[in-house]
Amino acid sequence: MLKSLKSITFGVFAAALMAGAAHADVTVYTAGPQSLIDKLSAGFTKQTGIKVSVFQATTGKVMARIEAEAANPVVDVLVSASWDTATDFAKRGWLVKYSSPNAAKVPDFLKTDSAVAQGISALGIAWNTKSGTPKPTEWADLTKKEYKDLVNIPDPAQSGSSFELTAALAGQDNFKLFNDLKANGAIIAGANADALNPVLQGAKAAVFGAVDYITLASKAKGESIDVIFPASGTVIAPRPAMILNWSKNQDDAKKFIDYMLSDEGQKMVADEMLMPARTDIPANRPLISDLKLLKYDTATVYGKRKETLAEITKIYGGK
Amino acid sequence: MSTKANGSVGGAAPAAWLAIAGLILVVAIPFLAVVLQSIFPNLGQGSFSSPFSSLVSTLNDSALIGMAGNTVLLGCCVVAASALVAVPLGVFRALYRIPLAPLWDVLLLVPFMIPPYIATLGWIMTLQPRGYLQQLVGFNLAPFLFSLFGMTLVMAFNTFPVVYFAVSRTVEAVGARYADVGRVFGASPARAFWRITLPLSAPGLAASLMLVFAAAIEEYGTPAALGRRAGFQVLVTGIDLRITDWPIDLPGAAILSILLVSMSLVTFLLQRWILARRSYQTVGGKPTAKDKRPLGKMKVPVLIAFAVVSFLATGVPLLAILATAMSRTISGGLAFDNISFNNFMLVFSNSAGAVGALVNSFSLGIGTALITGLIGVMAAYTVVKTKMRGRIAIDTLTIIPNALPGIVVAVGLILAWNMPWLPATPYNTALILLLAYCCILLPQPVRYTTAAFQQIGDNLEAAARVFGASSLTAFRRILLPLVFPSLASAMLLVFALASRELVASVVVAPVGMQTIATFIWRQFEQGSIGLGMAMAFIAILITTLLPLILLMLLRRSGLVAE
Repeated sequence: MLKSLKSITFGVFAAALMAGAAHADVTVYTAGPQSLIDKLSAGFTKQTGIKVSVFQATTGKVMARIEAEAANPVVDVLVSASWDTATDFAKRGWLVKYSSPNAAKVPDFLKTDSAVAQGISALGIAWNTKSGTPKPTEWADLTKKEYKDLVNIPDPAQSGSSFELTAALAGQDNFKLFNDLKANGAIIAGANADALNPVLQGAKAAVFGAVDYITLASKAKGESIDVIFPASGTVIAPRPAMILNWSKNQDDAKKFIDYMLSDEGQKMVADEMLMPARTDIPANRPLISDLKLLKYDTATVYGKRKETLAEITKIYGGK
Repeated sequence: MSTKANGSVGGAAPAAWLAIAGLILVVAIPFLAVVLQSIFPNLGQGSFSSPFSSLVSTLNDSALIGMAGNTVLLGCCVVAASALVAVPLGVFRALYRIPLAPLWDVLLLVPFMIPPYIATLGWIMTLQPRGYLQQLVGFNLAPFLFSLFGMTLVMAFNTFPVVYFAVSRTVEAVGARYADVGRVFGASPARAFWRITLPLSAPGLAASLMLVFAAAIEEYGTPAALGRRAGFQVLVTGIDLRITDWPIDLPGAAILSILLVSMSLVTFLLQRWILARRSYQTVGGKPTAKDKRPLGKMKVPVLIAFAVVSFLATGVPLLAILATAMSRTISGGLAFDNISFNNFMLVFSNSAGAVGALVNSFSLGIGTALITGLIGVMAAYTVVKTKMRGRIAIDTLTIIPNALPGIVVAVGLILAWNMPWLPATPYNTALILLLAYCCILLPQPVRYTTAAFQQIGDNLEAAARVFGASSLTAFRRILLPLVFPSLASAMLLVFALASRELVASVVVAPVGMQTIATFIWRQFEQGSIGLGMAMAFIAILITTLLPLILLMLLRRSGLVAE
């Protein structure tokens, strides 16, 4: 009995080792949608013959992994959902300087000498069209009594873009909007997906600051949901792609960035309902030029991150 | 290594050494990495600079006392609720002939197989405004759900089977024999139960309640989904925030984890102290009649109790999962024209790597069950049946993972196994997931088999030795068959838990590898709730059926008695 147990154990170990031995050429960590990175890596391998290994999670979990791996890092290309990552990593000197020839049509504010946007998402109001509430057009509409107890806010502590929207809007009126929302029964409801789910079922009528591409993809699947971009302005979240300086496959990594910014790669981005980084790629959704963007200074906003989050926690009452 | 050194009946040394080697690899290494990380904040960069610098700031956090208090409160509430539901049912199951008993066992087994975060989501989608309950009967119970009360209920319905199966098994082993002796000497049936049967079943009961407490304070999904809205922060959500909120605070997370581990250790010591005060040996080699009594007048109320608990623990979450998986759109609600099998088709057509995820998780589940079973039975034997010095250290090592949150185990494993000077490493292979699961789940087989060993009299092994059996033979032919029912059920439990583990898998999974849980989680993140739920339903079905078939085969081959 023990002997057979041992041999089985050994077999499992050996099989697992074999499974892990398949070595790949470019390792990509991404906070983007899984289906997008699957398509991108399949297309890239088809075109170049270079294999891609993918690790996909939320920005926070990707960062935790990079932080824990810091002694012996394996990631070559990182795609984050927050531009702040690119700024921070550049400051630490972790990035390779690279300007892809395909990045020519990417607007200047979406690239630096070490990072370039893969695509862009924007925040809007996700609204259940069958909720029996009037269609909201402005952020402040959600403080009206028709939306009493029916508004979810994604947690700004868990999402970079939510934080920027919160900070930008709170900066305009010193948290008055957020106090009014709280008075109208709005709640902070976890990360982006946690906030959207109750709106789909109708438990809530609207998400204040939902990530647009997830909502637009749900709408395309037939959910009775719509995204509204308020005319007073919103924030966008460019998703920076960067090459890490410890990468041993920097040439292949550069090819991956080139492919991501090629016509084919950018079309895949557009198919996920994200805005393509290149302005010459069409997309079936509102683009940056159609949106009004809130004006705020990113450095100042992130400099006061702790204070802003503390104020939000105070208003929405964490115990 | 000599058999004399440990001074016990049999040659315990090989068992002890195997247990120690396994425990060091599976538990001590990642735990040590976490401890070192809490002391040396820059460990991740391979540096031992500025020791203890984050200790003060982490422990000075004003929210800490609240979080720690909430953690203990939630743990106690879940233990009380689980005991309230499970102990009466377990005792009835053990002592009386319950109609349809195998059916109830299966129905009460299913909650094990439902991942807690899925069950919670199922409850939310049922009870929230315009949820399934409201669509069916016109009212909702949202205020109850998003509270300590709701959290306790959801978590208790998820964990009470641990207590139910432990109680029914140990009470059955104690049997009615000892109580009958009490009756002969004039005790009333109630008195015989309270003074004899229940106290003799204490090892199983205490061990299972401790597992429930540890699981409750370590659970992430339910407090994150329900607690945040009630303003109820626990240590695990605090740890997760430190790890996922940029800039990442690994040292802070490590310090909070050690706090969590010490809470678990305190309950463990409490359990040891309670059990150490008397002997619980009831399996003495004399044949016991397994005659169960008829229920008589209690038949209807007992059946109703079984039905209600089964419906709440298994029916509601499963129906909610199925309803969501079979909805074309979530906003379409429960309507005939909204029924679609599209999500199931997507899983079977291997959309987004669904089939690969199933295969990965089930292979890892089987591997984890075998390894933890082996280490577990060796460790339990060493701790209970030998007088080896340092066996308390072995026991302590087996308890640590109980309170280590999955995400901390993952970080510990990365820190330990991704050091640049290691010549070979399991990191970035499937082996690292196997190590993570073994670490997280090792307490299950250890606790179950420890309880079983505690009920076996020493004279059984001694008798075998007197008749010339080697220590190995005595272990293999006498002890192992006696603990095998407990070991087998623990290994099945490990299989189920490993094949659905989420939090560690998300962080530590090798590049390019998906498991069931990470697949579901990614679908949820991207708003494809229906596809995630379809996968969850299929996984629950397989994790329930596979062990049942296995148990049936084992029974037929006579390895496990009914």
